[in-house]
Amino acid sequence: MKRIFSILALMLGTHVASSAAFDLGKILQLPEENKQQKTEQAQQPASRSSGLSPLMLLGKTSVEDEARIGRQVSGDLLGAAPLVKDDTLQRYVNTVGRWVAQQSNRKDLDWHFGVIESEDINAFAAPGGYVFLTKGLYKRLNNEAELAGVLAHEIAHVSRKHHLELLRKSQLIGALSQTVSKEIKSGDQAVQNLIGNGAEMLARGLDKEAEFEADRIGAVFAARAGYDPWGLPTVLQDMAAINTGDNRLALLYKTHPTAADRLARLGEAVGDRFDSLPTGKEFPERFYRIK
Amino acid sequence: MKRLCGILTLSLASGLALAAPGVALKDENVLSKPSATSAAVGKMTKGMAVDIVAKQGGWLQVKAGGKQGWVRLLSVRAGAGGAGGNGLAGVAGVAGAVTQKSDPSRVVAVAGVRGLNEEDLKGAKFNAQELAKLEGYAVTASQAKAFADKSGLKAVKIKALPKPDAEADGETL
Repeated sequence: MKRIFSILALMLGTHVASSAAFDLGKILQLPEENKQQKTEQAQQPASRSSGLSPLMLLGKTSVEDEARIGRQVSGDLLGAAPLVKDDTLQRYVNTVGRWVAQQSNRKDLDWHFGVIESEDINAFAAPGGYVFLTKGLYKRLNNEAELAGVLAHEIAHVSRKHHLELLRKSQLIGALSQTVSKEIKSGDQAVQNLIGNGAEMLARGLDKEAEFEADRIGAVFAARAGYDPWGLPTVLQDMAAINTGDNRLALLYKTHPTAADRLARLGEAVGDRFDSLPTGKEFPERFYRIK
Repeated sequence: MKRLCGILTLSLASGLALAAPGVALKDENVLSKPSATSAAVGKMTKGMAVDIVAKQGGWLQVKAGGKQGWVRLLSVRAGAGGAGGNGLAGVAGVAGAVTQKSDPSRVVAVAGVRGLNEEDLKGAKFNAQELAKLEGYAVTASQAKAFADKSGLKAVKIKALPKPDAEADGETL
């Protein structure tokens, strides 16, 4: 009970200004009674006590374990680059992102979106529904359809479980079986043992095919949400026009195919398939611009 | 014609009297209008340098091989030469929203900005406070739906795109 009160204190301490809906009744439930709500409790992974599910060894990860991995990765990424201190911006990105995520096959995840403090041009996804883009990328966007396109590409990575697949393929899976068999580590430690520094996974990147796939799926998710389907392609065009040697794109191009390759591949898949779509929305006027 | 004049005015107003460079990603007819059913006025071939004049939806107005007309947005990439761009205004610039000039001082300034590199990520320390903040910004499904309803965003049924044939990939460009 003491732990629950401290969680509540944390929530009150850090979330007074936030307009996120939270239900006091749900917060006061024990996590074991309310697994679905866990990520809404702003719990720190370190407070978790159980190891990851052995199911992961069989290539299946529970939604709960996926979220735990995502939170570890996200907490590490935020250690490298904190959130931009702009509540309006963060709420706006969460609103657009959540609406796009509702068009995916994983609308029941607890989705989280954040703009992080970096002039780099990049975006990241972590398992369980965590999506980030840099301030440097955000500032290049011209309308809400472009934002939706960028977020949709990352949502596609989560929906296709690309990062989980990467973990499964890596030799780090051995560390997991060790953890599970010993059962002496805390929950957070179990995740850490599995993935090492979570942010490092983001620095390694996915394979090219996963990126091309996320472009195809992302363009469709944004269009399904009612946005102009050309948001993501326009952002890729913007990147294509920047010198590939530009520092701000260094990590992006270490982990992604070039924008030119992505445009060409997406073009082959799209062809004339978007010709008959209803005109989507762009909202250049209401698009939130960072001061 | 009125609309075209509007685009032209916009381009001039934002200092983009010159078109942005681009490269054709595939062979494609250059059409008289931004519509698949309009007449061909010319042809661009893969690798050809083009000038991007305007953008409209999924179409780009280009000058290719002495002809001006419309090609699909995904059939051209912005930026000149090689695999990358040259820092000149791209499609977004032509669209009138972003104006980047080829300004040497800007390149220097950019080089001084410390990016989010691999070392930063590897050395990152878990930040529980920022994570809690992030989770505090969460928007529920019903809040997102209300936002969409209010702004006239309607969910549309759209089929997934197929994976293109491996043989037909454009990764060589």
